[in-house]
Amino acid sequence: MSTVRRTPLERQYALIGSLLIAPTVLIFCAVIVYPLVSAVYLSLFQVFTPTLEGSWVGLENYRTLLGKNEFWSSLWTNIVWTVGTLTLQIICGVGMALVLHQNIWFRSIARSLILFPYFVSTVVAVLVWKWVFNDLYGILNHLMIVAGLIDFPVDYLGSMPNAMISVILVGAWKYFPFVVIAVLARLQTIPDALYEAARIDGAGPIASFWDVTLPQLREVLVVIIMLRAIWDFKEFDLIYLLTGGGPVTSTQTLPLLVYKEAFKLNQMGMASAYAVVMMAIMLVFMVIYIRRTRSEDDT
Amino acid sequence: MAEVVFKDIVKSFGSFTAVHGLNLTIAEGEFVSLLGPSGCGKTTTLRMLAGLDFPTSGSISIGNRVVNDVAPGERDIAMVFQSYALYPHMTVYDNIAYPLKKRGVRKADRAPMVQKTADLLQLTELLRRKPRQLSGGQQQRVALGRALVRDPKVFLLDEPLSNLDAKLRGYMRVELVELHRRLGRTMVYVTHDQLEAMTMSDRIAVMEGGKLQQFAPPNEVYREPANRFVAGFIGTPAMNLIDGTLANEAGAWRFASPGITLTCPPLTDDAVSGPACLGVRPEDVLLGEGPIRGQVQVVEQTGHENIVVVKIADGIRLTGRAGADHVWRPGETIQCAVDVSKAHVFAAGPSGQRLNRPLTKDQPRLAKEGA
Ligand SMILES: Nc1ncnc2c1ncn2[C@@H]1O[C@H](COP(=O)(O)OP(=O)(O)O)[C@@H](O)[C@H]1O
Ligand SMILES: [Mg+2]
Repeated sequence: MSTVRRTPLERQYALIGSLLIAPTVLIFCAVIVYPLVSAVYLSLFQVFTPTLEGSWVGLENYRTLLGKNEFWSSLWTNIVWTVGTLTLQIICGVGMALVLHQNIWFRSIARSLILFPYFVSTVVAVLVWKWVFNDLYGILNHLMIVAGLIDFPVDYLGSMPNAMISVILVGAWKYFPFVVIAVLARLQTIPDALYEAARIDGAGPIASFWDVTLPQLREVLVVIIMLRAIWDFKEFDLIYLLTGGGPVTSTQTLPLLVYKEAFKLNQMGMASAYAVVMMAIMLVFMVIYIRRTRSEDDT
Repeated sequence: MAEVVFKDIVKSFGSFTAVHGLNLTIAEGEFVSLLGPSGCGKTTTLRMLAGLDFPTSGSISIGNRVVNDVAPGERDIAMVFQSYALYPHMTVYDNIAYPLKKRGVRKADRAPMVQKTADLLQLTELLRRKPRQLSGGQQQRVALGRALVRDPKVFLLDEPLSNLDAKLRGYMRVELVELHRRLGRTMVYVTHDQLEAMTMSDRIAVMEGGKLQQFAPPNEVYREPANRFVAGFIGTPAMNLIDGTLANEAGAWRFASPGITLTCPPLTDDAVSGPACLGVRPEDVLLGEGPIRGQVQVVEQTGHENIVVVKIADGIRLTGRAGADHVWRPGETIQCAVDVSKAHVFAAGPSGQRLNRPLTKDQPRLAKEGA
């Protein structure tokens, strides 16, 4: 390759090309590469957050972190939250997409309304849900008492496992529209002729779901699951605002732990170490995702 | 019995009527083409037979059973879609086996049936492949295989060859005819390609604007088109259709238009004096001698023949076929004639009825005439 002599025109094109992508590369470096490198750098120091001054400790932060109970329990909480909310998002999302794909009269309105939870700001959404869940004046408790389902108000956010269940439910409510939209887009590209062929071949509605719809959704579902897994894994604002990681630390996921270390305990070095470890874990998802998309391109 | 009967079938989409009162009886084992220009209602008709669309009124029966309320899977039909509609994630084997599976054929019994179908269609080597790894022609054969495997009463094919290249199309035409001969099953074949319809069918149902125009064997559709539409639609190059007037002179009908006057072949009692249309196939135009005088306008060389367009009066042209050896030059003056024995006369209007008396076996061939 390097032996190919470039013509002046080709060199000129190469120069123009470099100039055109230069701004993107610069911005990319400023907002992604620099924070990444400085996080890794900071994780090697013991840093006091307000002054950002500290001393070199090498891998000490990592050693402490791996021996700490709080890290492992937060990781476990993180996994429970991610798996729980993601499962609900997928089930509700696919189900709703199938409903909205039918020829029903309120379809176009419903398709726009369904996006509402996804668009609404997390702070607003959490405020509303906190009010719904409130044990003193919350509407959920009120309705359940009126309906005779419970005799005393339930503490939805301040006790376990209720708090985790509530967080998972609100997460599913907030993010399932993403699944609906992505699945719906795919459903619309499945040719009608496939369903008609299946009908002629003797398949009923259930068989044609399993044999036509689901196989066609498989690839888009893999992508959705990977993306949502990454996004849910690093979710911060929703959990922080809803429970603050409590009761005690029972809904404290890794992002909340990073926040606590950095801004409450003022240990920026330790927080950076947590963040780097988290990134390493997410890198595994990333690699699977990239592999997956690449193997789709190949076939 | 797998006779297919359409009785007074009407199909409307909202205020638009796609099929107007179709009556058609397809005999058991027959290969019938639904032929017509795009949008004439062929697919709609086929889909109603398949049970994918429902007639607005009228009844459809297959083998003496009215199937209006029978689900597609229970009509004992198979359909080949224009897009093939193969299940993309299944192998060729699974695609072909699918209709058997859905009908509860046991796995062990399926294998020999799929194998037999694959052998018939030369798909044996491809059974492990996925549809996207196949060429268009191979996908087409898999779609056929999926239809053949369970030996249905009626095969429905919606423009199955239209996505293939010309050479493969010619090859598949022969294959399909051979297949039909071997299976002896009723086949309903939708196409807009008259060559396919002419070469493959036992009978052709020519449709236009949602109405059946003629239902007859290919040679009859060609030689005795029921009306002006069929006459103009069937045959390439198209039949010469010349508007003029009909007049009765001493018991014989004379046709006259600028540039041409001739005595008509025997007409039915429906013929009336007044505007009418003369139809002459290009092969019945004799170039080089004769009473009609014209000027060569265009010569199309196809290799084995030349198609010559002759202007005989303002706005009136005659297209004729000539051997490839004589090249006519545009601008040249030419004499020509019309083989009156093979001329057609149609009533006025775009779908005017044919007025010729039905052909009898030993009809005398009339001499060349004209001018
Ligand atoms: N689902 C539908 N809704 C409205 N109009 C339709 C529908 N399907 C077909 N048509 C109309 O009916 C006419 C016949 O269509 P079709 O049977 O597909 O024609 P073709 O002879 O080309 O196969 C066309 O004018 C088409 O626009
Ligand atoms: Mg069609």
